[in-house]
Amino acid sequence: MMTTTCSRREFVGAMGAAAGAWLARPMMSLARALPASRVAVGTCHEYGPEVTATLAKMFAQLGGVEGLVRGKTVAVKLNLTGVATDRLGYLPAEITHWVHPQVIGATVQLLGQAGARRIRLLESPMATTEPLEEFMLQANWEPRDFSSAAPRVEFENTNYLGYGKKYSRFWVPDGGLMFKGYDLNHSYEDCDVFVSLAKLKEHVTAGVTLSMKNCFGITPCTIYGDDASVDEPSLAPRGGRGPFHEGNRLPSKSAPPPVNAHAPKDPGYRVPRVVADLVAARPVHLAVIDGIHSMAGGEGPWCDHVRHVQPGLLVAGTNCLATDAVCTALMGFDPMADRGTPPFETCDSTLRLAEQLGVGTRDLKQIEVLGTPIAKARFNFRRA
Amino acid sequence: MNVDRDWVPMKWPCGPLEIARRNKSGSTDADVKETLEAWARPSALELLKGTPINCLIVDWADGRPEDSAQQQALKPLLEAGRRMRLSFVAKIALKEDTGVSVAAARAAGISAVMLGDASGQSFELPAMRQFPRDKAAWETASTIFSATENVWPGLNLETMNGDTALAGPTGIPWVNSNAWFSLLARELAPGKTLWLDFDPPAASTALPPAAYALAVADSHAYGSRWIISLDDKLRVALAKGNSQALSVWARLCEAVAFFEGHRAWQAFKAQGILAIISDFRGDNAYLSGEVLNLLNRRQVQFRIIERARSLPTLAGLKAILWLDNEAPSAEQHAQLLGFVQQGGLVIAAAYWGAPDVPPNKKDPSLLYKLYNLGKGQIAVAEEGFQDPYQVAVDTHLLVSRRNDLVRLYNPETTNCHYSVESESPHKGKRLVQVLNYSSEPAAYVTLWVNERVEPARFWQFGAEARTLPGRPASPGTDFDLPPLSVYCALEFEGTNL
Repeated sequence: MMTTTCSRREFVGAMGAAAGAWLARPMMSLARALPASRVAVGTCHEYGPEVTATLAKMFAQLGGVEGLVRGKTVAVKLNLTGVATDRLGYLPAEITHWVHPQVIGATVQLLGQAGARRIRLLESPMATTEPLEEFMLQANWEPRDFSSAAPRVEFENTNYLGYGKKYSRFWVPDGGLMFKGYDLNHSYEDCDVFVSLAKLKEHVTAGVTLSMKNCFGITPCTIYGDDASVDEPSLAPRGGRGPFHEGNRLPSKSAPPPVNAHAPKDPGYRVPRVVADLVAARPVHLAVIDGIHSMAGGEGPWCDHVRHVQPGLLVAGTNCLATDAVCTALMGFDPMADRGTPPFETCDSTLRLAEQLGVGTRDLKQIEVLGTPIAKARFNFRRA
Repeated sequence: MNVDRDWVPMKWPCGPLEIARRNKSGSTDADVKETLEAWARPSALELLKGTPINCLIVDWADGRPEDSAQQQALKPLLEAGRRMRLSFVAKIALKEDTGVSVAAARAAGISAVMLGDASGQSFELPAMRQFPRDKAAWETASTIFSATENVWPGLNLETMNGDTALAGPTGIPWVNSNAWFSLLARELAPGKTLWLDFDPPAASTALPPAAYALAVADSHAYGSRWIISLDDKLRVALAKGNSQALSVWARLCEAVAFFEGHRAWQAFKAQGILAIISDFRGDNAYLSGEVLNLLNRRQVQFRIIERARSLPTLAGLKAILWLDNEAPSAEQHAQLLGFVQQGGLVIAAAYWGAPDVPPNKKDPSLLYKLYNLGKGQIAVAEEGFQDPYQVAVDTHLLVSRRNDLVRLYNPETTNCHYSVESESPHKGKRLVQVLNYSSEPAAYVTLWVNERVEPARFWQFGAEARTLPGRPASPGTDFDLPPLSVYCALEFEGTNL
């Protein structure tokens, strides 16, 4: 593990360089040197005021986020998977499988304080065009808590065209693993900074779901859904993302085609590749993971054998792959593991695939972990 | 003799008329025939001892040659029933000479008759009107009136895929319920009692034990009564003293007795910050009925206003859905605009006269033009109201979930109804009744109410009332419900947020 330290100015410069490198990715070769990565780990046992304090400390450990967001439009992809009325037992969604509103509010507040010009909260609520605020209200959340946390906070449901006039196309550098490119809601292009605000969870199909897998949900089901129109995007999203999961059909023909029309139908093959493609095509500038409360055994209450856990952790980093690698280690797994080894018993490792696409490194030896050391913060999900 | 609104009705199929009907349709076998004969005998009434059922609906005349034999065969039953203080309602399905049959019924000691088309006629006995629900003659509804063509409550059997219920467009299992029609009847025939006439679905196997209790609950919780109707298999089994059948019967009677013990709840008023205005008739009947049905399924609580009436006070409302294409009267129009000026929302298929202001920035998820007017807003559907599902979804979103009064978490096959004791939504007892439309118990359901609530009184069929603590939510209160077989009710005093 790296133990280097750098000044705030060096960090900001590095971050800007990294972001610039991402923007120039199509011209970069996969063989280039990977950027050094820093990940902050904070311990935080409950959702209270201490969340903001912990997160602020973590951002400071990363060198601050001002350089990243000042004067910028920041898009924040939330993890609000499933429907808003689903609960694990009697526990509210934010205690188990959704990123907690306290973490969202704290992130928005800190980004606002760091000078973000506009913050746009994004998610693709399942099978609906309803405004994201309404989706939150159904979970008994108060969207005003977010809009009052910083100047100019907006919300958008990205599961369809939304406020955009057309879908934005993101090509995967070097051709992609599953698709050559992806058509997404305009919000993923109309931003200067992209933040993945995720939950620390296992995933039945992908092994783990962290800041990278969170980006699976940036894809609109009007194109990539089970009931998407054949030629053009549907007006409204219906159903799940079968074309990604099982390859049961192709996305709407308007979107870039698959790399290999005969790719395996195994979701454990397909989903990790789609995720790796997405984070390569739409780079994540800041990953924030809520692991204060969570669930083990799967990504949502619909999974078998899931249970509530309380790791008491927050994790943040400027490289989504490095951040997810640290999270994977914090969950008691080896981020270097691959298919057949926990947590990737039945799937390929998204971490390895993203590494292959040049997103970053999963090798803890190349990642500088700040704050609480992994050994001290580790929470073994399989034993919880 | 007058009809008694406390009658608890049950269909009592028996005798030559029913046997002839079954023979013609081929829907009988030896066991069923034997039971139909047995139920014409006084001894069959033993089944009703100790139950709240006090009114039997018997077939009396439908124009078949067996009419006379039927009326003759019923005499001992009627005599024995009267000794047990049972009342009888004779069902007469004739187009002509109804008066003769009614006179015969009166002579036989029948308490009332149930008729289809009897408009403008007077009889020697109280006449209950019965009509198909899409042809409801609200104006001529009798003190007790009945509707046919209802659905058997539960998961939609027509959309079952093996053991799995298919989802509706909402992603939640599609359920059949008569709740919306009961709510409509309360408004369009105020002060009158609706008896819902529906029979168990023909099934190759016995219905789940909870099915009958649900049929009771889906009617009573929304202010009507179900004319209890047993399927052939259950009646045959009961006649044979089958213990499992007796258990199902006991459960059904327990559900009926529960509601009889809580008659005061029938006077509670449905509450909601949304009012739905339509004439609910003719060309508007389908759309308005489906919208009521689908809003109810979304747990949207609403009040119903009949279009032809002067609008009542709109106090307490935040939104009005004007469903019909017909424009409001000048007086109603003025009231609606006043409502908007004061901050209300009116949702309509068309605007009656172009507003003076241009529409707002459009919400891409809703195909509505939104006009600001005073403190409020008018939402006009760009393509009119076509799909009732979309109307229900859009209405919920335009009104906003922020205004939900109740909500269920892990709802799946459950639904709920909210009512209050007094006219004022700000005071009085609140009642939330939760129904499970599946034959499997609903687990881990949380009821959320948009109020700060003290512990609630909690009831389930067959269990003592107890206190159920609430868990403060932000906002409102969560009640974690124990596993729910068919029905539960929570009563509490609340403070509106």
